[in-house]
Amino acid sequence: MGTEQIIAEVLRTLNLEFIALIAVGTLIGLIVGALPGLTTTMGIALLTGITFKFSGHSAIALLMGLYVGGVSGGSLSGVLIGIPGTPANAAATLDGFPLAMAGKGAQAITISRTASIIGTLFGIGCLAFFTPLLSNLALKFTSAEFCLLGLFGVLISGTLTGADLPMKGWIAGIFGLAIGMIGMDELTAWHRLTFGSPELIGGVPFIPIMIGFFGIPQVIEALMSEQDVLVAALDKTKVKLKEILVHWWTALRAGLIGVGIGIIPGVGEDVAAWVSYGVAKKGSKHPEEYGKGSYEGLVAAETADNACIGGAIIPLLSLGIPGSPPAAVLLGAFLIHGVRPGPMMSFEFPAFTYQAVSWLLVATLFMRFMALWLARPMQKILQIKNAILMPIVAVLCAIGAFSLDIRFLDIVLVFFAGLIGLIFRKGKYPPAPLVLGIILGPLVDTNFRRALKASGGDFSIFFTRPIALALVLAIVVLILGQLGVFGAIRDKWRSRKQTEAQTTIS
Amino acid sequence: MDESTKRLRSLDFFMGTGFALIGFYVMFDGYKAFVSPALVTVEKSVNPGVTTLFVGGFLALLGLILATIGVRGSGNPFRKAAQVIPETIRKRTFLRGVLAMACIGVYFFIFWGRIPYVMATFIFLAGMMLLFKGGAWWKVCLISGITVAIIWYLFGVLAMIPLP
Repeated sequence: MGTEQIIAEVLRTLNLEFIALIAVGTLIGLIVGALPGLTTTMGIALLTGITFKFSGHSAIALLMGLYVGGVSGGSLSGVLIGIPGTPANAAATLDGFPLAMAGKGAQAITISRTASIIGTLFGIGCLAFFTPLLSNLALKFTSAEFCLLGLFGVLISGTLTGADLPMKGWIAGIFGLAIGMIGMDELTAWHRLTFGSPELIGGVPFIPIMIGFFGIPQVIEALMSEQDVLVAALDKTKVKLKEILVHWWTALRAGLIGVGIGIIPGVGEDVAAWVSYGVAKKGSKHPEEYGKGSYEGLVAAETADNACIGGAIIPLLSLGIPGSPPAAVLLGAFLIHGVRPGPMMSFEFPAFTYQAVSWLLVATLFMRFMALWLARPMQKILQIKNAILMPIVAVLCAIGAFSLDIRFLDIVLVFFAGLIGLIFRKGKYPPAPLVLGIILGPLVDTNFRRALKASGGDFSIFFTRPIALALVLAIVVLILGQLGVFGAIRDKWRSRKQTEAQTTIS
Repeated sequence: MDESTKRLRSLDFFMGTGFALIGFYVMFDGYKAFVSPALVTVEKSVNPGVTTLFVGGFLALLGLILATIGVRGSGNPFRKAAQVIPETIRKRTFLRGVLAMACIGVYFFIFWGRIPYVMATFIFLAGMMLLFKGGAWWKVCLISGITVAIIWYLFGVLAMIPLP
């Protein structure tokens, strides 16, 4: 497809209808993101259920608007009430809330918004540049590489997102892979793990599981606490552009970190924000100001989590492997609407990457204005009691899942996925690897056996191709590293050196 | 090791054991496919049991390792559980959580499909809001009514979904 045709395609999906849908998506995202207890991932999962009757591209445009708005909106509640709306904004809350408490709420919101815009634009730029390159590279991948890439994604996601032991992240990911394999096998039509239920032959529907897994635990946990929120007042002072531009290096570094972490499968915005915040604090001339209302800290955290959006969509579009939990749910939405991301997308939907870029740009524009307009009404909205809001969320979880296939099984799945989600939270198991495992289960499984078939059952296919070998080594290093093997070797080497040194002295 | 970590490790023991059992079941399912006469014509490398055996085996192994970490970290996981469970059950927050889950369970499994959707959702919303002290009864009824009307219009009328 030529450049002119691509431009025509982009313009076709940038008409008034699409712009209005993106605006609605961004607004919903800002509200969902700002309300503590509702996450971007959950918002996308819920809205996927609601928008399944929309035409494919328009639903995706709406969901992308929600993604941008959601990640950005979480900082509003972080600044105003000291509770991050989404985990992605936890790092920004450390400096945003102290600023608001010091009477600089409006400044904090303006700075975090500007940082969000810089981050999102940086991510979009990288998305437009790197997706075609990675898609071309991915065309050289065979089944062996795709299988190993999926496995690597699940394991690295488990390693980086775990709050307790990395093993819990791996267990979550492998458990997700097992769930993803439920149903009829694509290659032989054999029924796996269906417990004899005909309703499971088609596999476990992804969206009801996501709605239940993210939605129900939030409802329960929010209703368990009886805390009232303290909303900070908003001043009318304005921030000069110079005060933000002085942190250009922090913003650039945060953008690179955000995109880099976004590309790693299943890791996501919260890790990007924390890493960027940590790096900025380490390199700062005033690290003592961090956590007490540092503009620099706010810029570092907010730029990185927003840059992660573009970064997370790069592997999603080019490899079909999502870079973050919201991108994983977005992948589910893509599939529902007939868009199959991956290397073949450059042939099936050659303009799609640029359409996505244009939707994200429009969403960023709306986010810029809406976030400022919303700041004052949000002060009121944030005072809505959990006892009012959470039952409504539970109802939306049910109807959102039911509306996909109009069957009661999906409601049952929402409930049980919710129970699993609660147990996971209690046991400190990260949700991202599970999501990634469920979505990558069929990819890993099918490509594993295709690779073996191609090699006549010879496992050396996973070691003899350069990219496959690199991925195998990465997986081995990852596992050994987390099991402490390298640490043990280093300690042994050091103690031997010390013994040698002592022997020499004596 | 502090008390909260010991408690977490006790839970790790039980969850690790659970995951190991799930892993063994997945392996068993894979083994069934691997030896099934129905798949005798299929090449062994393409047999659907291959991946299931691998995934189940990996899950079982990780589950067993976690259970071992749980035993080592908690001392005696059973004794720790016997101490933690009665404490947790007595907590107000836990009871609120159980109540919320029970309300959702009633809405999903008893109301859904048995009572007309609009009525069922109104009863659920108003009941839950009142139970968790969302405000005065008339405010709760008003909010529930408006919410139900919006959902009915969006899903039942605009999206033409046959509400139960």
